[in-house]
Amino acid sequence: MYPILLSILFPILAGLFLLIRYRTPLSSRAGTAKRKTLVILTGSFLIITVLLTVIAIFTAKEGFTLFYLTETLPVYFRIDKAGTLFSLLAVVVLLCAGFFSFEYMKHEERESRYYGFYLLLFGVLNALCFAGNLITFYLFFELLTLTSTPLVLHTGSKEAVMAGLKYLFYSLCGAYTALFGIYFLYKNSVTLAFTAGGVLKASAIAEHGGFLLAVAFVMILGFGVKAGMFPMHAWLPAAHPVAPAPASAVLSAMIVKAGVLAIIRVVTMFGRDFLRNTWMQTAWICLTLITVFMGSLLAYREPVLKKRLAYSTVSQLSYILFGLAVMNEEALAGSLLHVLAHGFVKAALFLCAGAIIYKTGKTRVEEMRGIGREMPLTMWCFTIASLGLIGIPPTGGFISKWYLAIGSLKSGLPVLAVLGPIVLLVSALLTAGYLLPLTINGFFPGANFDYDKLQKKEPCKLMTVPILILTVLSVLVGIFPDGIAPVLALAGL
Amino acid sequence: MIISVILIPFIAGILIPVIPFKKRWQKEIFLETAVVANSVLVWYLLLHHSDSTFLLAHFTGNLNISFRVDGMSMVFAGLVSFLWPFATLYAFEYMTREKHENVFFLFYTLTYGVTLGIAFAANLLTMYFFYELLTLVTVPLVMHTLTREAVLASRKYLYYSLGGAAFAFIGLIMVIVYGSTTDFILGGVFDPAKIAGHTDVLLLIYVMAFMGFGVKAAVCPLNSWLPQAGVAPTPVTALLHAVAVVKAGAFAILRLTYYSFGTDFLRGTWAQTVVMIVVMFTIVYGCSRAVKETHLKRRLAYSTISNLSYILFGAVIMTPLGLAGALTHLVFHALMKICSFFCAGAIMHQTDRHYVHQLNGLGYKMPCIFGIFTISALALMGVPGLAGFVSKWNLAQAAVDSGNPLAWGGIACLLISALLTAIYMLTMVVRAFFPGKDFDYSTVAEAKDPNWKMLLPLFVFTLCIIGFGLYSQPIVNFFNDVAGGGV
Amino acid sequence: MNFICNFPFFSILLSLFSGTICSVLSAKAAKLVNRVVIVAVGIMSAILLLYLLSTGEPFVYWMGHFPAPWGNEIRAGVLEAGMALFFCIIMYLSMAGGAHKLFGEVVENKHNLYYILVNLLLSSLLALVYTNDMFTAYVFVEINTISACGLIMIRQVGRTIEAAVRYMIMSLLGSGLLLFGLCIMYDLTGHLLMSNIKESVGLLMANGEYPIPLIVSVALMCVGLCIKSALFPFHAWLPDAYGYSTVSSAAILSSLVSKGYIFLLIKIIYRVIGFNIFNSTRIIDVLFVFGLMGMIFGSISAIRENDIRRMIAYSSVAQIGYIYMGFGMGTQAGMVASVFHILSHAATKSLLFIAAIGLTDVSGGSRKLTDLTGAAYRNKWAGAAFMAGSLSMVGVPLFSGFISKLLFSQAAVQVEGKMLASLIVLGISTVLNAIYFMKTVIRIYTSNRESAYPSVTFRDMKSYAAVLICFMILNVILGVSSQPVVDMIQLGLAMFD
Repeated sequence: MYPILLSILFPILAGLFLLIRYRTPLSSRAGTAKRKTLVILTGSFLIITVLLTVIAIFTAKEGFTLFYLTETLPVYFRIDKAGTLFSLLAVVVLLCAGFFSFEYMKHEERESRYYGFYLLLFGVLNALCFAGNLITFYLFFELLTLTSTPLVLHTGSKEAVMAGLKYLFYSLCGAYTALFGIYFLYKNSVTLAFTAGGVLKASAIAEHGGFLLAVAFVMILGFGVKAGMFPMHAWLPAAHPVAPAPASAVLSAMIVKAGVLAIIRVVTMFGRDFLRNTWMQTAWICLTLITVFMGSLLAYREPVLKKRLAYSTVSQLSYILFGLAVMNEEALAGSLLHVLAHGFVKAALFLCAGAIIYKTGKTRVEEMRGIGREMPLTMWCFTIASLGLIGIPPTGGFISKWYLAIGSLKSGLPVLAVLGPIVLLVSALLTAGYLLPLTINGFFPGANFDYDKLQKKEPCKLMTVPILILTVLSVLVGIFPDGIAPVLALAGL
Repeated sequence: MIISVILIPFIAGILIPVIPFKKRWQKEIFLETAVVANSVLVWYLLLHHSDSTFLLAHFTGNLNISFRVDGMSMVFAGLVSFLWPFATLYAFEYMTREKHENVFFLFYTLTYGVTLGIAFAANLLTMYFFYELLTLVTVPLVMHTLTREAVLASRKYLYYSLGGAAFAFIGLIMVIVYGSTTDFILGGVFDPAKIAGHTDVLLLIYVMAFMGFGVKAAVCPLNSWLPQAGVAPTPVTALLHAVAVVKAGAFAILRLTYYSFGTDFLRGTWAQTVVMIVVMFTIVYGCSRAVKETHLKRRLAYSTISNLSYILFGAVIMTPLGLAGALTHLVFHALMKICSFFCAGAIMHQTDRHYVHQLNGLGYKMPCIFGIFTISALALMGVPGLAGFVSKWNLAQAAVDSGNPLAWGGIACLLISALLTAIYMLTMVVRAFFPGKDFDYSTVAEAKDPNWKMLLPLFVFTLCIIGFGLYSQPIVNFFNDVAGGGV
Repeated sequence: MNFICNFPFFSILLSLFSGTICSVLSAKAAKLVNRVVIVAVGIMSAILLLYLLSTGEPFVYWMGHFPAPWGNEIRAGVLEAGMALFFCIIMYLSMAGGAHKLFGEVVENKHNLYYILVNLLLSSLLALVYTNDMFTAYVFVEINTISACGLIMIRQVGRTIEAAVRYMIMSLLGSGLLLFGLCIMYDLTGHLLMSNIKESVGLLMANGEYPIPLIVSVALMCVGLCIKSALFPFHAWLPDAYGYSTVSSAAILSSLVSKGYIFLLIKIIYRVIGFNIFNSTRIIDVLFVFGLMGMIFGSISAIRENDIRRMIAYSSVAQIGYIYMGFGMGTQAGMVASVFHILSHAATKSLLFIAAIGLTDVSGGSRKLTDLTGAAYRNKWAGAAFMAGSLSMVGVPLFSGFISKLLFSQAAVQVEGKMLASLIVLGISTVLNAIYFMKTVIRIYTSNRESAYPSVTFRDMKSYAAVLICFMILNVILGVSSQPVVDMIQLGLAMFD
């Protein structure tokens, strides 16, 4: 019990401590010394949290109830495999992005607030991953929204505030839609604890199965907002670009994944056997495919790099959702692999974009000609990560997409079984279309390019190392998928 | 004993202008002592209540003014007597900037007694009597500033309330004529032999009486007095227009529905459908208006309108669970709303800013106030872990459990309203903490947190919100007991 | 025959003759005589009431010991005695409350004339209450009209003369119709004494003879009295008459004169036609509808009025509508409610008129609502009294208005077809009442500190304040311990048969 609690409470308390201790902004003069303490403090907090989380994952086997909200609503924690997977991803992404931000945040105001909420977010994410029933999950799902909003808002520009509010309201809207479902699920289920094979009462299925399907669909739509699923995806391209780059990385790699985790939970609660081969599955798959295609297409048309990456996230997340919607073992394995692959890749890509902004201030793709000469390491990482996203062997993206396609073909669904892989392929092509020009123009700016203007602008190690780690990890996922065999075993959820 | 808790505030109130206090603090101590003593007495009464009825006066026929402590009165009286001393403390500080203090405190304290009268009323007539009285003693409070706006607002308040009471009165008549007694009995008092053949008329009268009492509970379309009444000093808006008065309306409807007309009689009829639609509409309507409103207190007033209809939504589900849900929200919303109103009042008192767009950048200057405001905002939205979630959960469970498809639609309304709540509350929070990149902080340099008299009530209420949010088991059990007739 | 049985006759004669005496007395003495007479009549009525309550039987008093059908009869029951007592109380308080204004309103040498008229009015009212003879009733209706006209006109302002003429015309029209009805009735039955007519009417109805003339006669009498008591479509004379006459006159006119006619109508319904026969005609439906309309339109006119006294006058139209609604229900309960409302309205309306004068006095004599801002602070007692009266009118518990509303609604519920209409109109009318009365209350309590008008204190107006307090107490007594009064009314109505 204590490791889990510690891994949740420590970052939250640490975050609150930072928020309260540094509530007034650091003035620029007295800043440097104080800033150093702040950074060291945050860094050590981060590392301690990571250690605590890892300890929790490997030691805590038993679930426990912390307290009861009301008589029938326990706040219950238990670490299961899906939780482990997401939590590990969170640890890596947050650690890398955290260290990256120590350098990046130099040019933003009110750093302490950023770090405070960053740590809060870490705690909430841990709690979300370790939640053992739907109510606890919902509790931290809402908190996740609330603690991540300040990160989006951070720059405080009008655009950022609008985008932050948009993010907030979309997320809450999704959460409430899901809550609507939870109310009904609670009435018709044996328990709200996550149990393999579903928790619905047999009598409830017999009596109003059709209605429960609708409830499931509503819940998936609701949680799908967080995962950027069509038609409620509009917040994503607005919110990601305005946040500081490391925050975008966390948002894109981890927070949207909370939506994925939520949907995994929902599917578990209802039971895949109950949902398979129903109108609800068809509708859901259609939505994911639309999102996959539309996201890629919009990314292809987008000139601002971070926005392009955000659209790409919309598209990629629906790969994952597609795998979940197909509801067989292969597809699920593909989905979970893609969670990891996309997590690493997208974090790396956003950090690269951040490094570019930090060093050159360039945000639009067409400004970035020749950037590969200026920042070779960053751009190499960018390229490799891009390949991962497109799905070129031996990167992670290839394996996950392979499984997704196999799962889809095996599912035996009419039309969609074939249509799915086709859409995925087309989208992969589009992905190549919107990511590779950067590499190409970056390294080969063309004959008429003025090479003399170029300067060495490689960022410091605090930035490059996290990018490097993430890139390497994204490749490793592809080379050693067996290393994450437990992930495949999750298929038995 | 019961009568004394109603009389003490009356006496104390009337003494305020009579006793020649030399210093202000003497008056404060006198009043605070009286109010606290009364609250202690109320709690003593609640904890040691006997089941007997106290008959004060005999009207005509079998109509009388009498008092009794039952489950519902325990909830309402407990709530009111808990909030009042804190609100009084807050008012001392707030009123330093207003005129005619004595008159204010006179009526403010009178209202305490009248509200307790409503809570302890043992029959419909007594409740009606105190209900009318409540209107009358609160009008001077609304009118307090005597500006043209205040006069208009108090006029409107009077028309609406008295008019509403007139229709509620018809319901009273029905209970007198067709009921076996006017006393409150869980499950209703209608005499089956007498009502045979009059069902439709009675239902129509129920709807009328519902709307009549609904005036105080600000049911759409009879709600426009509430935002206007926000011209009153903030302690009034906070305590009366978020708790005592409006909750008295909701309380009266609960009494009418569960204790006089009886849910068995009403459930599944067209009357239930009608009132439920009205309530559902109000839930959404109040929130949408709040989103549009730019005046701080008026925005909160619209929020109150919506939240009151949450309570009424519980009432019109017409099951014991619904009643329990309604009571939960009755209590929890009181805490949350008084908290947010007191924050608004503190902002107005400290900075003289009244509009939402003027809140920019105040967050860092008044961290306590805005921290508490944020918590109350989150609680109103229904974030789990805070009180608002529990009451919403209970309401929604009651709705699901009732098996009434319209009530399921009501859940959707609750959630839409939650989203709108997020919009109108969090935009304020965001404004305060994220005023924008080029915000000039010198404009808020003067602002600071108020003194302990204002902060203490706020901290207490916030603790309650969090406490009930994390651990609501005993109190929710109590509400279930009340709704099941166990108390 | 007990000595007390002479009291009704004594009361009528005493007030009649004291009126004559007043004409030769000085103003001051006339005032004294007037007061003494009212008190004396009041005491006699009270004793009579107690006597009747103890015997529990009404009695008939033969004037000059001539038996029916030749002699003239006086009849006294609990209701009559109670009504007489109540009229005396109200009249005394109204006179006392308006006394200080009299010098400003009436030229000095006409003061004794004023008291003559008041005494005459009292005697005619008493006669209307006690008489058992239709023709006597008619005669005193005329006396009543004339003295009322005088009371309106005695304040010689242009407006009052116009008002008096208007009142005169309408009233004469009313009494003319009453006379027509009476003639037809006499023609049909050959009697003038109420009890005898009732017997004949019962026979005629039983045999199905002359149904139409009978109805016409009843209708004419009703319409006549409706005009005189200002039921809704016939109320045009009322606002000016009440609004511009002297204070006491307004209070007396609104609370007593119209009530006298209404009481006569009740007597006609019970004692002449018979309650059941009356209820079987369509006339009650007409009364019901006009009553409801009066409740609404009277209030609407009051809302649009900017003159406080005319506003109160219009409110009377609404209140008379309540009373006729009670008649229109055609049940015993409705009738009880109506009679109670006669009392309650009398107690409230005169209170309002007298309080209003206190308010206008401290506002430079202006009766415009806009000028009354803050008047309640300048004259605290008048303000409080006006508020109490308003609350009673709106029907707030503790005041008499609440009980009448309660009785009306309870009565309404028992009448199948008219229940919803009456309940809803009651509700709407309460809202409307609230609008104009509460608007005024708020206005007079809106402080206007820099007002140029002086304030008055309790010392300046002891008697005036005492009157107001008495009225308020009367109101609250009617509101709180209404049960004995209601019982008495029921007993009295039962005695009518």
